Amino acid sequence: MDHGEKTILELDRIVKKYRTKTFLFGARGQEVIALNQISIKVTRGEIFGLVGESGSGKTTAGRLIVRLEQPREGKIYLDGHDITSLKAKASKAYSRRVQMIFQDPYQSLNPQFSVFDTISEPLIIHKIGNTKAKEEAVWRAMKSVGLSPPYDFAHRYPHQLSGGQRQRVAIARAMVLNPDFVVADEPTSMLDASMSAQIFNILLEMRKKLNVSVLFITHSLAAARYLCDRIAVIYRGNVVEVGPGDEVIENPKHPYTKALIDALPQFRNSGDKKRYQTLIRAERRVPEHAGCPFFSRCKRADPVKCSREKPPLMRLGDSHWVACFYAEPGIKTSSGDNA
Amino acid sequence: MALLVAENLSVGYQAQKGYLHAVEGVSFSLDAGKSLGFVGESGCGKTTLGMAVMRLLPSNGSIREGRILFDGEDLLQKTDEEMRQVRWQEIAMIFQAAMNALNPVHRIIDQIAEAILTHTPSLDKEEAYEQVRGLFQLVGLPEDRMRDYPHQYSGGMKQRAIIAMALACKPKLIIADEPTTALDVIVQDQILEETKNLQREFGVSIIYISHDISIVADICHDIGVMYAGQLVEYGAREEVFDNPLHPYTKALLSSYPTLTGEKSQLMPIPGEAPNLINPPFGCRFSDRCTEARVSCRSNPPVWLEITPTHKVSCHQCGKHCEK
Amino acid sequence: MTREIIKVTVFNNDIGLSERFHWIGRLLEGWSIYKKNLLGKIGLTLLFLFALMALCSFIPPLVNPMYQPMAGVDPDISYSVGPSMRHWLGTDFMGRDILSQLLAGARIAFMVGVSAAFMSVFLGTVIGMIAGYAGRFTDNLLMRLADMIMVMPALLVLLMLAALFGQLSIWFIVLFIALFRWPGVSRVIRAQTLSLKHRPFVEAARVSGASHLRIIFRHIMPNVLPLSFLYMTFQVTSAIIVEAALAFLGFGDPGTVSWGMMLQWVWKTGHMFRAPYWLLPPGICISLITLSFYMLGRAMDEVLDPRLRKEGGTD
Repeated sequence: MDHGEKTILELDRIVKKYRTKTFLFGARGQEVIALNQISIKVTRGEIFGLVGESGSGKTTAGRLIVRLEQPREGKIYLDGHDITSLKAKASKAYSRRVQMIFQDPYQSLNPQFSVFDTISEPLIIHKIGNTKAKEEAVWRAMKSVGLSPPYDFAHRYPHQLSGGQRQRVAIARAMVLNPDFVVADEPTSMLDASMSAQIFNILLEMRKKLNVSVLFITHSLAAARYLCDRIAVIYRGNVVEVGPGDEVIENPKHPYTKALIDALPQFRNSGDKKRYQTLIRAERRVPEHAGCPFFSRCKRADPVKCSREKPPLMRLGDSHWVACFYAEPGIKTSSGDNA
Repeated sequence: MALLVAENLSVGYQAQKGYLHAVEGVSFSLDAGKSLGFVGESGCGKTTLGMAVMRLLPSNGSIREGRILFDGEDLLQKTDEEMRQVRWQEIAMIFQAAMNALNPVHRIIDQIAEAILTHTPSLDKEEAYEQVRGLFQLVGLPEDRMRDYPHQYSGGMKQRAIIAMALACKPKLIIADEPTTALDVIVQDQILEETKNLQREFGVSIIYISHDISIVADICHDIGVMYAGQLVEYGAREEVFDNPLHPYTKALLSSYPTLTGEKSQLMPIPGEAPNLINPPFGCRFSDRCTEARVSCRSNPPVWLEITPTHKVSCHQCGKHCEK
Repeated sequence: MTREIIKVTVFNNDIGLSERFHWIGRLLEGWSIYKKNLLGKIGLTLLFLFALMALCSFIPPLVNPMYQPMAGVDPDISYSVGPSMRHWLGTDFMGRDILSQLLAGARIAFMVGVSAAFMSVFLGTVIGMIAGYAGRFTDNLLMRLADMIMVMPALLVLLMLAALFGQLSIWFIVLFIALFRWPGVSRVIRAQTLSLKHRPFVEAARVSGASHLRIIFRHIMPNVLPLSFLYMTFQVTSAIIVEAALAFLGFGDPGTVSWGMMLQWVWKTGHMFRAPYWLLPPGICISLITLSFYMLGRAMDEVLDPRLRKEGGTD
């Protein structure tokens, strides 16, 4: 790992569990492991992609970072400081540095607030500047997301805006405090292609101009490829592969990553043949919580080793890590350092 | 032999503020055993088109103009009773978010059996259950899950159940409106594979409606690109994707990030789709088009046939397009 | 026309102005939707008439002291007679003018109805929001309290109180109605709060660093208030009926003239079948005023919940 550049955010062996509803008479519900000891490091100024399907835990990871939820085990570090359990005042100070863009542009804006109300609220909460200064900050934020001229949009309400415009308001709100770190939770999954493209370009601009670090959560490998410097692939609460964006996509090592790439519809229908073919048709029965999380679907899996031992993230190339015993011959199995 | 032919179809809704021209002058033809995809962003009219073919428009919707010929007969001339015969037995539809349309208090097997029995009342329950068994095998659902309730199924399984229901009466045509939007990529891929297999085996024609071009390209023989209620480009899949002619098609293709190929900057399309209550008289894409001229705004575009199977509705394409 | 004027003067480049007055625009929009509802218009008209009645209740005693609803005595009549030129609706068993009683009753109905409704909704909203937002122990505590109150037989308790304290004053009755009615409101508000608590825009406020208080007052309350207003109209209905019932049963404030009290007098003095001019007016008024508040509530429902509006068209 590059130790020269500073790590702005680190998740260290985070565990998050949920208990499903308890039944009558006290019988406890099942415990679901949303995140199973995941560790992630994001460098300052980097756009880091977290790619996974539904149920992978990617959204949970994002929510833990903005402290909407607390981890069961593990630590979170911002700029080296442990922020896992903060009290009220420190928590508020934290919210100035870490912000979030939500997935649903139709629900993440208060329908009773005008655009100006929404974007100025963080400034009001943190008591930043007088009325004039606030207005200027809001203007600046709106221009930076392309809601220009600002006074045209400022008094509009969410129901008068398109999905793409609403999402831009959400981005302006997240950026108005000039945070160090932004979690973008599937910001384009509810938008059309051309609106998505706009949002992607805005995120790139933001990073370029303000050097803000972004955790880009998505189910789309293609979007991650376009935006992200590094990509982590997450499967059922486990990070299975991490590496530079282009590297992970052109040279995937984990069977799940390969399966994701196979599954994407190609523009050209190249004769129905898949490139990697790492999936088995029907799932194997597997004992709970033991062994590799991907064991039940993996073609290459060894019935003994993979069902019993959970592979740790192992270093492959310069900064390419994979959690698979058979990713490549000669893979270093020492669990010295994590990604 | 064309199974479905639409001629100059125009559909609209009576809204509070006026009449909304949702679909305008759309013509297409679909052969038996082939699949046709309609691509476009939200509001382009593709869902309305699908509903119009099934004549399932809401009470404020109306088909203003045109003909829909199915197997030679004009569907718009049929009575409600005749349409009811056509629906599900000849044409089936998979709606958007169809998996949410499964009744949560009935077993899956009963829901599919009901669809069968409604259209072939001569069968008895046991025979209907037998058919359901066959359908489950067809779509790749395990037989021992037939008696489950919808909440016990995963998203992918529910969608397969919906497909089974659509196939229950062995229709000639299936209209699928964004059937895989809510599904994960791997499950989506499996379902698309199975759909292609089913089509090959049974020769069902498919109309596939989606906002995702890559899916449509994967599964359909022909593509129709829609914008603001109109068809702007229409042709064989290879032609439309390897050689897009309409500026909107080109813009649409370049606003998707790709997994392969070079990483060029995504170009969003500036501006917004026009208001369909008072649509502009000229080309509806002209105020967002990079190649627009003055004449584009004042005159409605005409269809240009580039090849016998590839046509585009644009003023500028005559000069710029290569064959 | 007014809409246009406001749009031009308010929605210009001056953010401060539009911030302050955007609610005017919303009110006007709400009114235009309300106008289309026939029930709403009828309800509003009736209420207007009743309000007029209440206002006019001050007039008769000024014209002639014999028109005082409680103390007024006609020197010539000291029993119940039918309508005449002097007494448009006739007189009650003591010779007091029925019409002035009716007008005074309208005043009481509004006072009691609106006050009791306001208090119960206020209590119910605050408690409901706190319960819904705080969750867990506080929620349990407050909702069990609400359950207990809902289960209590209000009338029985009132009887006991009357036995203990003698006659009850009108304001005590208002308080009493409010204390027994808030649980119903709080349940609804709590449910709404629960659903709002998890909405992304509330989470976004939390991520922005908003305090709990700010979230409750800036985000949850404005989205819950329309429901409160709606419930207020229904509560007015029930408050008026409860007061009338109490008065009819003899537990009202003997110093005030309400329609229920009038009915009690009709019944107690045995005039029920003898004096329709005395029996019918208060009965009809009670029914009509509750009906009109109900219609108001139904029409407001349509204004507040966009899904209920009769509209055509796609998105």
